[in-house]
Amino acid sequence: MMIWLTIILMAIIVFASRHVLLEPKVPIRLSKKTLTFLSYSAPAVLTAIFAPIVFVPNNQLDLSLSNPYLVCAIVATLLAWLTKNTLLTIVISMGLFFLL
Amino acid sequence: MSSFSNDCATHTHSRAKSYWLGALAVMPLTIAVIPWGILAGSFALEVGLTGLQSQAMSAIIFAGSAQLVALGMIKAGVGLGSILITTLLITSRHVLYAMAMRQRISPLALKWRLALGFLLTDELFAIANHGQQHKFDPWFALGGGLTFYLGWNIATFIGIVAGQNIDNLGELGLDFAIAATFIAIVVPSVTKPSVLICVLVSLVLAVVCAVLEIQSGLLIATLTGMFAGYAYASITCESVHQSDQSDQSDQSDKPAASEESK
Repeated sequence: MMIWLTIILMAIIVFASRHVLLEPKVPIRLSKKTLTFLSYSAPAVLTAIFAPIVFVPNNQLDLSLSNPYLVCAIVATLLAWLTKNTLLTIVISMGLFFLL
Repeated sequence: MSSFSNDCATHTHSRAKSYWLGALAVMPLTIAVIPWGILAGSFALEVGLTGLQSQAMSAIIFAGSAQLVALGMIKAGVGLGSILITTLLITSRHVLYAMAMRQRISPLALKWRLALGFLLTDELFAIANHGQQHKFDPWFALGGGLTFYLGWNIATFIGIVAGQNIDNLGELGLDFAIAATFIAIVVPSVTKPSVLICVLVSLVLAVVCAVLEIQSGLLIATLTGMFAGYAYASITCESVHQSDQSDQSDQSDKPAASEESK
């Protein structure tokens, strides 16, 4: 029961965040400061999710080049930075990861 | 540039054609999300959800990062309140996506607003805002959104089936798909020093919290990163919407141009 409650409440929160500002009747009350603050949410959240995967695989800090996650993440970062191409970055870095 | 020459052709585009063009545009990102979906399905089983619950997560919530983080928290025995607050934080970026698309989606009928709102992921936002600035086409967005939804749910289903039959699926390194996707989204978004500060602070804190096994690490890292970026921008008086300008100016100028040409 608890799991279903969690799933349904999460679904409501996620849907509300995506939908509310698409409603014409909802006046935008977000101040410019709030919007600026929110503009950092995507990079901050996404980074906070991927950083432990890359640097702390198997629950242990691994900063060596024998850590395939770290090596491939560096490759992905360079590719993304140089090419700005999402697909190319994902395909090459994942291909390399599964080879290593 | 090509928008004017394409305008005649656009009129003859049937709804079906727009739909399939959208489906085609999201295909690369749909393929990239497959390992991630498999992970979501198999990890849900590992955490103790039933097959139905695991599939329902992808079908009803439809938010990969929120699902995986919540599963990790359920596994660690974290309470419902913390899970919901974390979900709110992870999903808060969608408010900005909706904000950016408000001008084009809010005039549409309710069924469109509900459907496109439900389907508004990082990936749909990415395809709907690239190359489609000239004329926002709801059928294109619907094709992209539904294709991605279908892909995510099929991948989850594969994960559930595989998770029941293969042990240690989590050790195959499927989680690198998440890292690769997010790096590919984050790195090009670093267009000004404050975003770099935000990303670096978030990165270091997330790693430190992970090493120290602090449960609310995601929350701490994200909020501190956001504050750091915001503070740096305020102190240095960095121009406020610099990073959005390249995108936003495209969005706001081109629809106007296409309306004039009608």
